[in-house]
Amino acid sequence: MSEPILIVQDLHKSFGEIKAVRGISLQVAQGELFGLLGPNGAGKTTTLSMLTGLLSPDRGRITMKGLDFRTHTHQLKARMGLVPQELALYPALSARQNLTFFGRIYGLKGRDLRRRVDEVLEMIGLTGRADDPVETYSGGMKRRVNIGAGLLHKPDILFLDEPTVGVDPQSRNAILESVEALNRAGVTVIYTTHYMEEAQRLCHRVAIVDEGQIIALDTPTALIRSLGGGLIVVGLAGEAAETVTDRLRSLPAVQGVQRRDGKLHIRARHTQEALVGLLEVANRLDLLITTLEILEPNLEAVFLHLTGRRLRE
Amino acid sequence: MIDQILALTWKDLKIFFKDRGGVALIFLQPFMFIVVMSYALGGMFEPGQDRIQLLAVNQDRGTQAATILAQLDSMEAFGVETTWEGQPLTVELAEKLVVEGKRNLALVFPPDFSDALEQDPAAAERHTTRIAAIVDPATSSQFVEPILGTLQGLIERSTYTAMVPKGLDYLFEWLAPQTPAGQREIFKAQAQEAISGGLLGGEEPVVTVERTVPAGMQVEKYPDTFQQNVPGYTIYGIFWIVSLLAGSVLQERREGTFRRLLAAPMQRAVMLTGKLLPYYLINLAQLAIMLGASHLLFGLSLGPSPAGLVAVSLAAAATATGLGVLVSALARTEAQVGGLTVLLLLTLSALGGCFVPRFIMPTWLQTIGLVTPHAWALDAYQDLLVRGYGLAQVLPKVGILAGFAALFFGIGVWRFRFDTVEG
Repeated sequence: MSEPILIVQDLHKSFGEIKAVRGISLQVAQGELFGLLGPNGAGKTTTLSMLTGLLSPDRGRITMKGLDFRTHTHQLKARMGLVPQELALYPALSARQNLTFFGRIYGLKGRDLRRRVDEVLEMIGLTGRADDPVETYSGGMKRRVNIGAGLLHKPDILFLDEPTVGVDPQSRNAILESVEALNRAGVTVIYTTHYMEEAQRLCHRVAIVDEGQIIALDTPTALIRSLGGGLIVVGLAGEAAETVTDRLRSLPAVQGVQRRDGKLHIRARHTQEALVGLLEVANRLDLLITTLEILEPNLEAVFLHLTGRRLRE
Repeated sequence: MIDQILALTWKDLKIFFKDRGGVALIFLQPFMFIVVMSYALGGMFEPGQDRIQLLAVNQDRGTQAATILAQLDSMEAFGVETTWEGQPLTVELAEKLVVEGKRNLALVFPPDFSDALEQDPAAAERHTTRIAAIVDPATSSQFVEPILGTLQGLIERSTYTAMVPKGLDYLFEWLAPQTPAGQREIFKAQAQEAISGGLLGGEEPVVTVERTVPAGMQVEKYPDTFQQNVPGYTIYGIFWIVSLLAGSVLQERREGTFRRLLAAPMQRAVMLTGKLLPYYLINLAQLAIMLGASHLLFGLSLGPSPAGLVAVSLAAAATATGLGVLVSALARTEAQVGGLTVLLLLTLSALGGCFVPRFIMPTWLQTIGLVTPHAWALDAYQDLLVRGYGLAQVLPKVGILAGFAALFFGIGVWRFRFDTVEG
């Protein structure tokens, strides 16, 4: 990966008493597909809004392509594209009319504009319905036009805010394939989602966001590897429940143990062996297992391990 | 920048013309008002076309009542009916017709009407009588009083005409009793002719009243009902753009396109200008169509100054569009847009004289009306269309309208929310 195309330093944003973003810092390399993964209300959209100039940060600095965003806003906006979470289209107009309009807003004209609109329509697979009003489209088709509108001017950085929300699996897959293709073509992509599988599939690196902060940032592989072979979440009851942690840590199959919200999070090197060891310890110490959950190593499990909550609750 | 403004303008015009309801509201609604109200009030401005019908029950034993009724009927403003469906009118029937709302006023001439007019002026006891005017109490005094005033004038003339011979008889007896009867009759006939034919009206009155206009005004023709109503309802109509403009801004916020536009490399001033311009153009189209169609269909005079007409129209449309910006900045929901729009439009239109001429309002209300752009726009149009003034005379009012536009636009831009609130 080359020089960072985006540097975010200590970004803060509050809405009254609510602190939506509390000191987010990250760097994105040129050509990277970078994910912001977190539950609803984590601060992903607020962060994206600041990065795209929709909101002004209370504190912090954004540098894009080596330029300060605050002083070069107009110039940098011309080089970025936004695919907002809500559909941002004019339903009474056709896909072609929508794309033509947004293309003109980004400075495209004449033959170049017409050619580019045709290209994007081809890319999103809507050439055949291009002249029908968007209000007659299915949800998936509207989503595709929504993405297409962000691509017309061939941005250097594309921000996608949960682009697959409310979309059927087939359309979702098509969208993800489009994003992968764009990234392969050299576009830097910042992708926010609360779907673990999307972040795992698409992203070179993922920042896990919760309560306005980044709680982990690494490649999906490294994040998942931190869980070892898997994650066992167990609730124990009995007199020795508080002292069992050290016993479990001593097991060869256990990588680490942490207590969260009254439960034990056991990162296992080998899940089955760790489970057998857990049962033996519980039996020996006369502990009752009240809850037991075994999670395969994935980003959902990483989030649960880090926050004690699920990505989608 | 220009291309972005044009793109925004094209987009909103395209969306507007796809909305048939919006097109009907903006272009058809004020036109319907013009047509309906102009035909409804046609009689006020062109009395000959739609006379006020008066019922008359003539119980007079003599001929004086019939003479007065004939004089009333000969006037352009009135039509006298002494029968109903072929039957002579009675007091009971006249009252019934007034109660049923078929007529607003009925006159009942008493049996001794001629006796009273023709009585001997030297008689010891004065004989008085009374004409009953049966009026629906819901009828405005402004309608009734002019009729009664006209009737009183005719009665006085008839009184003089009727009483003069007896008066002359009395004078002859007192001052020149020796005058032969034949000479007295000739003198009396000449005196009557002089009074009824010259001094007090008749075929060639000595004194007449001629309608004229102040110096500087060029009136092609006196205003008919369309000349009066078209400017008022046109101004009322163009302010409906407030609802469309504010609604469109709200829709963009709701549909998310507002966010996309804010993320684009576009100055906020460009975004606002591109939002306003299509609605300004629609306003100008409204004005052109309503004035033009009224000219072609109803013979509306467009006055002697095309430049003045253009200047007033540009300023009036700017005021309406500016108010649209203000409402779009203040309203947060569709209900607020609708409520604010109706409140402002109806109140300002009413105060400004669009529905009812300001000159018939109480003085204090006329003064309040000057706080509305409608009053100034209407006055400016009447200066051009009715009074025949030119550009120079309407420029001060154009300036005031421009001031209103700047005020609305300024407050609107100041209060306009560009941030998109996140959760």
